[in-house]
Amino acid sequence: MTSMYNFKRITVVPNASELKDVVLSKTQRKTPTVVHRQYSIGRIRAFYARKIKFLQQTLHDKLTQIINEFPKMEEIHPFYSDLMNILYDRDHYKIALGQMNTARHLIDGIAREYVRLMKYADSLYRCKMLKRAALGRMVKLLKRQKSSFEYLEQVRQHLSRLPSIDPATRTLILCGFPNVGKSSFINNVTRADVEVQPYAFTTKALYVGHLDYRFLRWQVIDTPGILDQPLEDRNTIEMQAVTALAHLKASVLFMMDVSEQCDRTIEEQLHLFESIRPLFANKPVLIGLNKVDIRHRADLPAEKAALLDQLEKEGIPIVETSTLTQEGIMSLRDRACDELLAQRVEAKIQAKKITNVEDSVLNRVFVAYPAPRDEKVRAPFVPPGLAAKRAAKKVAAQNAMEVDDVPTSAMDGIGEFRDENTRRLEREIELAMEDDYILDLKKHYLLKNPEEKYDIIPEIWEGHNLSDFVDPEIQAKLESLLHEEELLEKAGEYESDLDSDDEDTKEKMQLALQIREKEKLLTLEHAVNKRIAGRVGSRVHTRKRERSMSRLEHELGELGVDVDTKKMKNLQGQCAKPQLGKKMKIGRSRSLSAVRPAPRDEIAFPDEEKRAHVNKLRTKAMRGLRREAKKGEADRHVYDLKPKHLFCGKRGNGKTDWR
Amino acid sequence: MPQNEHIELHRKRHGRRLDYEERQRKKLARAAHDRSQMAKTLRGHKAKLYHKKRYSEKVEMRKLLKQHEEKEQKNTVEQPDKGAVPAYLLDRQQQTTGTVLSNMIKQKRKQKAGKFNVPIPQVRAVSDAEAFKVVKTGKTNRKGWKRMVTKVTFVGESFTRKPAKFERFIRPMGLRFKKAHVTHPELQTTFHLPIVGVKKNPSSQMYTSLGVITKGTIIEVNVSELGMVTQGGKVVWGKFAQVTNNPENDGCINAVLLV
Repeated sequence: MTSMYNFKRITVVPNASELKDVVLSKTQRKTPTVVHRQYSIGRIRAFYARKIKFLQQTLHDKLTQIINEFPKMEEIHPFYSDLMNILYDRDHYKIALGQMNTARHLIDGIAREYVRLMKYADSLYRCKMLKRAALGRMVKLLKRQKSSFEYLEQVRQHLSRLPSIDPATRTLILCGFPNVGKSSFINNVTRADVEVQPYAFTTKALYVGHLDYRFLRWQVIDTPGILDQPLEDRNTIEMQAVTALAHLKASVLFMMDVSEQCDRTIEEQLHLFESIRPLFANKPVLIGLNKVDIRHRADLPAEKAALLDQLEKEGIPIVETSTLTQEGIMSLRDRACDELLAQRVEAKIQAKKITNVEDSVLNRVFVAYPAPRDEKVRAPFVPPGLAAKRAAKKVAAQNAMEVDDVPTSAMDGIGEFRDENTRRLEREIELAMEDDYILDLKKHYLLKNPEEKYDIIPEIWEGHNLSDFVDPEIQAKLESLLHEEELLEKAGEYESDLDSDDEDTKEKMQLALQIREKEKLLTLEHAVNKRIAGRVGSRVHTRKRERSMSRLEHELGELGVDVDTKKMKNLQGQCAKPQLGKKMKIGRSRSLSAVRPAPRDEIAFPDEEKRAHVNKLRTKAMRGLRREAKKGEADRHVYDLKPKHLFCGKRGNGKTDWR
Repeated sequence: MPQNEHIELHRKRHGRRLDYEERQRKKLARAAHDRSQMAKTLRGHKAKLYHKKRYSEKVEMRKLLKQHEEKEQKNTVEQPDKGAVPAYLLDRQQQTTGTVLSNMIKQKRKQKAGKFNVPIPQVRAVSDAEAFKVVKTGKTNRKGWKRMVTKVTFVGESFTRKPAKFERFIRPMGLRFKKAHVTHPELQTTFHLPIVGVKKNPSSQMYTSLGVITKGTIIEVNVSELGMVTQGGKVVWGKFAQVTNNPENDGCINAVLLV
């Protein structure tokens, strides 16, 4: 409802030094930080220029935000504009915002100037100094506007707590001298919960409350008391009330104290009414005679009553109320609301916005009729074919009605009316042909040569046309190959005998046969031996024993190979060579029993008697602990569950285990 | 009280919580610990800022304490012997307050300092290599007779550049300055005044003629804004000032008026 005048959303205005820290550290965080002397000068310049520009942009954004978020005095409703003028002083407010604007402008200028100077910097040092100067100057501007920042922050806080008054809605305004019962009235009709005290100027600001009447939401504004004095003499508190009266289109409830307990006589109160009457122009005004529980209107002296009667004659209703006994309060409220509602409805009617509730929409619709320029008739164009089509459609519909008893054919069931030119749906064809139907997707292809429609589309797989790899004669080729093979077999090409009559070869063959036999024998022998001996030991060990020169000679001699020492001369050189590296140790290594110290208890108490005694003592000492299942000395004990050095201090990368 | 100040309203109606005062006291007592904890844990740029602030606070505090101490300090000074003194005047000492003493010391220091209060008595010489950059010219960039000034310069309004062929020294537009921040040493105020000319650059006569402005250069500024009057009653409009900063590094010219 009051979304337009919600000043709660303004962001906090930082104070100057805070803003300085924020923007500088942001610049430090968001721009690169490493630069070296040996970089090319262009790179160094860019590095520092970026910092300057970044700070300028940051500050620019911050200041723009402040300037944009604060309401502009000219743009808001005059009520708020005046209220702000009273509370915060228009000039001060404008100057503060203007200074923000100037600062923004100056900052932009400084940044531009220094970025330009950066172009002439010829060393890292000069670049750095220029950057430093630029940042310093920009930040210094903020410091100069310290008071403006503070002022704006205070304004923001106050603005955000202003009661959210909607200047456009239905409103009742309470006004009158201090202490006549305005706040009590608002407390009675709404839930505003305004403070009520028996002294003047308890209410120092505008208060707003809401009530429901006639299913409508009404806003009630409680104003501070007004004294009867010229406008120039009024203070800030009174001026708020005057502003509300002057700018809000509302029903005014002028509260009077009939008992004169507020130290103002009825005459004085009526004089005030007269003096602020110009503010009530074009507004429904009602007078609430409050505190009738103390003195009734009828009990008034004649001259005072006459004054009231005169007012009543002028058409200003006077309602007797008592906020204490709640007498007349509702009637005053209802009358005020009714009058305002009547006035608002009347205003709307006059504005021709409303004639009837039903056709309120029609009222807003405008239909333009162009003025005819000649006698020519300009009827809407209807295509000639349409009439025929419509007639055909009608006939078709009638036919369908007549043959209602006949089960509707599938074609009729689908779609609406079609003439002979319309292409038939595939579904219709399917239903018509039933089982003979074959889905033909190709028949509607739009090709340059319609005869190509049914051509076979080449199948492409991994970029190859499959038809390229199909050999239509492969079967025939296979046949011929097989035939050829058969012929070769018949001719006896594969029956080869390797029997050679060569002497030498024969001898070799003989030898090979012997070797093979020998091998077989050995394998058998080994298997037998194995069965008897079982697992003998490491292969290395057994073989070692067998590997003797005489055996080699014997065995190879059996096979006809001469292994005399003379014949083996070529191996002599190798034998003579000293063995390289460590000699391999063969067989089981000598066992060594380690020297073990005596058990610890024996070391501690070599004397057996003493040891027994100590043991006894120990068990006795442990008895209690054991009974209560407490942790004994044998239990695992972690000396420090949370070692301090691992749990305090900063945790950088890779510092989990040590710090 | 305005309508939406809920906290204040509640406080007015129900008062503060019963242990409010005690909590405040404890909080205050604890503040030093919290501060020290913060000082210990802060790191990086924030720590730097925080420690600087804290340090300046401490210095301020110490100064204040010292002032108070001086004020309260009372000691006695032996009167120098003035020959024979009657018995009733014996053992008489004069009391002095610390403030007077320290004031005197301060005064003396000030006077002493004033003696050397000439803006900048000595300046570092600026070499040609530092002030000029060689600009290569010619079709194949072989010629090196052209120089570009890398320092801030003042160029008079009537100056027109020579044709490029004859222009030996280039003074870039970006480094030309027209105004200087001039401080009046007695008024202790600074004005932004237009420069009239370069009187003398101590490094070299050539710099003076080129209008190069470095630290220690004497410049002439237009002081007509200041409304200074000579003894004869004429308005002074030109005055000398000495440059106190390195304009090429700071991007502005700061000078002290020579009065």
